[in-house]
Amino acid sequence: MMKKTIAALMITAMTATAMTACGGNSGQTSTSAAPETTAAETDAAAGDTQAASDSGATALADGEYTIGIGQFAVHGSLDNCREGFLQGLAEAGIVEGENLTVLYENANTDGGMGTQIISNFMSKDVDLICAIATPMAQTAYGATKRADVPVIYTAVTDPVLAMLATEDRMPVGNITGTSDKLPVEEQLQMIREILPDAKTIGILYSTSEVNSQATLEEYKAAAPEFGFEIVETGVSGAADIPLATDNLLEKVDCLNNLTDNTVVSSLPMILDKANKKGIPVFGSEVEQVKIGCLASMGLDYIELGKQTGHMAAQVLTGQAQASELPFEIIEQASFYGNTAVAENLGITLPEELTSSAAEMFDSITN
Amino acid sequence: MSIILGILEEGLIYAILALGVYITYSILDFPDLSVDSTFPMGAAVTAALLLAGVPSPAALGISFVCGVLAGIVTGLIHVKLKVVDLLSGIIVMTGLYSINLAIAGGANLAFFGQDTIFENGLTAPLLSSPAGDFTVTIISFVVVMAVKLLLDAYLKTRSGYLLRAAGDNDTLVTSLAKDKGTVKIIGLALANGLVALSGSVYCQKQGFFEISTGTGSIVIGLASVIIGTKLFKRASFLKTTTAVIIGSILYKACIAAAMAIGIFKTSYMKFVTAALFLIILVISNQSKKKGAA
Amino acid sequence: MLELTNINKYYNQGTVNEMCLFENFSLTIGDGEFVSVVGSNGSGKTSMLNIICGSIPVDSGTISIGGKDITKMPEHRRLRTIGRVYQNPAMGTCPSMTILENMAMADTKGKSFNLRPGTDKRRIDYYRDSLKVLGLGLEDKLDVKVGVLSGGQRQAMALLMSTMTPIEFLILDEHTAALDPKTAETIMELTGRIVEEKKLTTIMVTHNLRYAADYGNRLLMMHQGKVILDKTGERKQETHTEDLLALFNEISVECGN
Repeated sequence: MMKKTIAALMITAMTATAMTACGGNSGQTSTSAAPETTAAETDAAAGDTQAASDSGATALADGEYTIGIGQFAVHGSLDNCREGFLQGLAEAGIVEGENLTVLYENANTDGGMGTQIISNFMSKDVDLICAIATPMAQTAYGATKRADVPVIYTAVTDPVLAMLATEDRMPVGNITGTSDKLPVEEQLQMIREILPDAKTIGILYSTSEVNSQATLEEYKAAAPEFGFEIVETGVSGAADIPLATDNLLEKVDCLNNLTDNTVVSSLPMILDKANKKGIPVFGSEVEQVKIGCLASMGLDYIELGKQTGHMAAQVLTGQAQASELPFEIIEQASFYGNTAVAENLGITLPEELTSSAAEMFDSITN
Repeated sequence: MSIILGILEEGLIYAILALGVYITYSILDFPDLSVDSTFPMGAAVTAALLLAGVPSPAALGISFVCGVLAGIVTGLIHVKLKVVDLLSGIIVMTGLYSINLAIAGGANLAFFGQDTIFENGLTAPLLSSPAGDFTVTIISFVVVMAVKLLLDAYLKTRSGYLLRAAGDNDTLVTSLAKDKGTVKIIGLALANGLVALSGSVYCQKQGFFEISTGTGSIVIGLASVIIGTKLFKRASFLKTTTAVIIGSILYKACIAAAMAIGIFKTSYMKFVTAALFLIILVISNQSKKKGAA
Repeated sequence: MLELTNINKYYNQGTVNEMCLFENFSLTIGDGEFVSVVGSNGSGKTSMLNIICGSIPVDSGTISIGGKDITKMPEHRRLRTIGRVYQNPAMGTCPSMTILENMAMADTKGKSFNLRPGTDKRRIDYYRDSLKVLGLGLEDKLDVKVGVLSGGQRQAMALLMSTMTPIEFLILDEHTAALDPKTAETIMELTGRIVEEKKLTTIMVTHNLRYAADYGNRLLMMHQGKVILDKTGERKQETHTEDLLALFNEISVECGN
């Protein structure tokens, strides 16, 4: 009986291996060309990284490094962070496949899995852990407290609230990184410029995402200054979004989208509903503008990732200690607009915004 | 070494959850899905209490009590309102999600730096000693053993006998002039108390509460119980509770091994878990048939 | 004394499948009576037991024990003073627990199921002696799980367990029907002995006409929710298996069976 059971366990393991092998191209996480969540994106990342090293713009840094990247969820923005992070490292001469080995794991929003991912990294003696999104950063901090592994996080909206940093932006331990705090005031200013007569802004957010709640509070605090009223609707899951959107669209002059994972996943559907009513939807980062938000004074997660990568490079090469680096935020918000969307809505984007735009899109990517 | 410690820490902490699931699933024969929310409830309560300055052992106790209350609610819905067992659990699981958010005041609540059962004045010398790396494992082990011994003792009391009878043959409970509904409620209360306790210990180790930590707790619990009870079915020298604890550690070891070898990407992990789960169940069913023949 | 007064019970009331089980059914069973109940399938024997125990509710009518109305009392409260043995031997014991634990549990009936030790060590000898009376060798297997015992052994235990604590009524619901003839015989003898020893008021539903004739001091035959034969005392003694069989055939022909 015992033997049979063990045999069966082995078979399970082998079956699963076989299936993984069929599903993905290679099961090996380590040293593969790039993380493989979305093939297209990561290929691009690898290309960029490669380009950076090929062009010889920067010489390779000394030493061989192994880092573990733990990402909390599969999500466009977070994937961009990771991509940017590797680019940032490459710019500093730490190039994946050359002098850098990258272990990448995704927790798929399972907190318990996050812990095991970090402990796996620790057992493999990584030189640095890159934690993407708040829960992953907290897990990494808790796990590395007693070990000498620096942690660099990104896409943590409020490191102070997450207790990863003190009020003066200084780390609480051997952990630092970048915040993806949204430029709330700039965004409100932009909405005011584009829609001079608008009074109410609708915001959809999911109650399970701490970042969204924090950002929402900021919007509510800042809105009166720009003459807006915020109407928010919380959802507890993707299934609530269609009804919540219909309901919200009845009450508002425009919608403003946060970086809420759940809501962003349903963005195409929200855009569709809003377009039918001729209500503009503002985004919070470049990807959202690409797929049909009117405009955004927001973040470029690739840039954020790069900035994070630079910090990681400093720590890896010993130029700085993670515990001494204050966390960083992207100081300047950049304007992204989509002229195709503007045309559909019969809105003209003001000249002063478009002239200083970081990027303008003239089509809607699906 | 650190990977083994990691497995032990995780396995031991989740063993408390597994013992709770063992009460409902194995003893009471009640598939209680509310576990997915009572685990994070223990964490939410603990995070909120520790930030309010409540001592960590008290946080453990209060988390347990909150879990007990949640279990009673599941039981009342099932027994008094006559809702099917699976649905009662789903109802409580769904409702608790919002309550957990309210308790923690959000989806994430960190309390790094607060005294916990792992980091406090008493454990400080241990933490700074060469054996410091073992602190979490040792303390978790002590908690798990305490829970196990208490549970073993409880199952040998009159009330414990009745609980075991309720899962086995509830007609007998009625014949003994006891309300089988009440017995079920007691079982659910105890089980969810343990699950919340597990959530509390887990969160004290992590240093923060995160609403998503509950995702899949029931699967981890069931897998641990099934691995433990089926693998050690013939090992009569082991108490079932011990087998469940070992099951929990084995489960975590499987996951860690799969990850360390790098065979599976973590995104396939749920699939791997499901496959493992199914195969153990199928094997145990086959051996059951043989036993019957 | 057990009294059923004007009991009405319908199944699927108000639908096309409506079925009348009892209409104005009344029955009185005196203390110390050992009533054997026979009747064809669907005659209402088991339903009557279920109504007495509270396993199924009645539409109207009253049930009282010793003059106390228990019509509204839930099943588990009624079973405080009633011991019941089911047709299925698995219903009376707990298979995953040991013989000793089962005995101890039965012994706790009527007391509080609190946090005291489930098995009172001082009672073990008593349990062993009680089991010895069965003559099945169970007294040497105290730590064996009941699940591995045979149907007859379990039924013997069930009988022992349901009569271990003081009860007013013993209800036997075709308790030998699932056993082989020899084991059934043993269990029946045991039943007679226990009932006599403990002077229990007993209602025994059976399909075995010989048991019905041989055991007890009152005989009821039921048909379509009515008592069609009720013999007590000497008149019962005069009734033999053949007479019962003849009557049985008569009603069966009537029903077209």
